[in-house]
Amino acid sequence: MTSDDIRALSDALAADPSSTVFLQLGEALRRRGQLDVALKVATRGAERHQQRPEAHDLLARIAIDQGDFARARAEWEFVLHLSPGDAAAQKGLGFLCFQQGDSANAALWLAAALAADPNDPSLGAALATVRSTIAAADAVSPVAGADAAAARDQTWDPVPTVAARAPVADARALFDVVIGDQPQTVLLIDRDGFVVAGQYVTADGRDLGADLGAQLSGISDEAARAVQHLGLGSWQQIVFESEAASVAMAPSLDGVLLVASPRSVPLGYVRRLLERSLERVRRWLETGT
Amino acid sequence: MSSPFSSVLSALIRHRGVSGCCVVGERDGMIVEANLQIGLNGTAFAALTASLYRKARRSALAAGFGEAAFFELTADAGRVCAVGRNELVLVVIAEPMVNVGLVRVEMLRALELFT
Repeated sequence: MTSDDIRALSDALAADPSSTVFLQLGEALRRRGQLDVALKVATRGAERHQQRPEAHDLLARIAIDQGDFARARAEWEFVLHLSPGDAAAQKGLGFLCFQQGDSANAALWLAAALAADPNDPSLGAALATVRSTIAAADAVSPVAGADAAAARDQTWDPVPTVAARAPVADARALFDVVIGDQPQTVLLIDRDGFVVAGQYVTADGRDLGADLGAQLSGISDEAARAVQHLGLGSWQQIVFESEAASVAMAPSLDGVLLVASPRSVPLGYVRRLLERSLERVRRWLETGT
Repeated sequence: MSSPFSSVLSALIRHRGVSGCCVVGERDGMIVEANLQIGLNGTAFAALTASLYRKARRSALAAGFGEAAFFELTADAGRVCAVGRNELVLVVIAEPMVNVGLVRVEMLRALELFT
């Protein structure tokens, strides 16, 4: 969302303080990292709309970003009081429990959220990650683990690799688990064209990720402008083939995720790689692993 | 009167889900020839997609990937595909569920006319 969009939302809220536009405005400010302002907007909105679960969900997400876990938990629990079975609140509590090392309850909340919203792909991945963490803990302490495991749901997904669930120490290596040793490049680029994660290493060992990101990220601005004028909604994906490479891009983290493969790689595979990389980014942002 | 592009455009517009196609000047975004469904704003469509293709082509060149061949943009409510050569761009606008693979093959084949 651009500064103009935020200004427009602010104007709309100023013109009608009782409107629910504070939800969009607060979320946009949160995504831009303006947490104090986002909190003010959300708090005022929640005061006017105390019975709206979305208002308290917004407050909880801002609290998480501020590191105020107790506030986040209280807000999500209030959401469940207002709207029992709310998927967003259950998901939030699941991530919160996981972040605080309570994997067992995290799995319960995420499973409940997945049951409430089976179309959210991030929930399945998050649940698999949490369950793999529990399985790993059980493996370290097999006796206690066997008892604990017997008491839990036995229909777990296959355990991902250790690399897939370990905390990411080097953002440049974020996509290694996705691309393996294949000659592909995956870069997460922010709205200013800076590389957030991934790398593009040439044969002589130089990382040209920043150059590549800066050159290609401008396409997304042009795409956003075009689809807006053409009334096509939001852009979801750009794919183009050139003499040397196939490139796929999608919006992610207020910027773009970019996958580049040698031209010999089928275009359909490049698309799949983009989707898997998007999922990787989501998991990284939500769980840090 | 028919141009060298008429048969290509006629073939493309017959694909299920294709709502318009045109040949556009890459530099100026002006329509050379078009086959559009009623209601589609051909002038804006041509100008915007030509600009988008030009941006992608230049970015690919600057990134060291060579000349762009096929370009596809997927949005909530539709897809835009483009191929170009010699400062001409063949553009297709279609519904989300169009068979892009089929359209791509036909567009790349049509590039032979752009010499």
